[in-house]
Amino acid sequence: MAGIPWETDFDAASAKAKVAGKPIFQDFWFDG
Amino acid sequence: MNTGPYSNEKVQAFILDQFIPVRSECFWDKPTPLMQRFGIKWTPTFIVHDSEGAEHHRFVGYVPADDLFAQLGLGLGKISYDADRLDEAIARFRTVIARHPAGGATPEAIFLAGVAEYKRGHDAKALRQVWETLSASYPQSEWTRRAEPYSAIPL
Repeated sequence: MAGIPWETDFDAASAKAKVAGKPIFQDFWFDG
Repeated sequence: MNTGPYSNEKVQAFILDQFIPVRSECFWDKPTPLMQRFGIKWTPTFIVHDSEGAEHHRFVGYVPADDLFAQLGLGLGKISYDADRLDEAIARFRTVIARHPAGGATPEAIFLAGVAEYKRGHDAKALRQVWETLSASYPQSEWTRRAEPYSAIPL
């Protein structure tokens, strides 16, 4: 598998979730 | 972007199948609007939202793959539970319990599965069974302590 195609725009992810009827998994991360 | 538990192909497949995945980078010297909106004080912080964007579950700190599966399953169960879709919630919680018995989120799944069963059938034995299961298998869990009052319910 090529990995997870993360969305980086939360509003875009929310729009996709509404259309797909899917929940959102959000990872807040820090590149220390 | 796909390190740690995300390098696990089963984790990748589960996330892709069940969720719209989004990563939000944090900057401590200048918190982003999303950090402020969701009150992010440490990373990693993970949030499970329903399809309308309402938050149902969050957890903080690194989790290995098995714990991540359990947390995500618990989050899915809580979405169903919060919407009073009790059959669906119970099935979600039972999946977590069966597949991830050592998961950090599993005691909460046991607790909520029992509560959902009680709400569905109004049989208090479901709550007593929560206590029996948690006290036998997870005696140190805070969820066992939360279930302690149910120990007085007759079986």
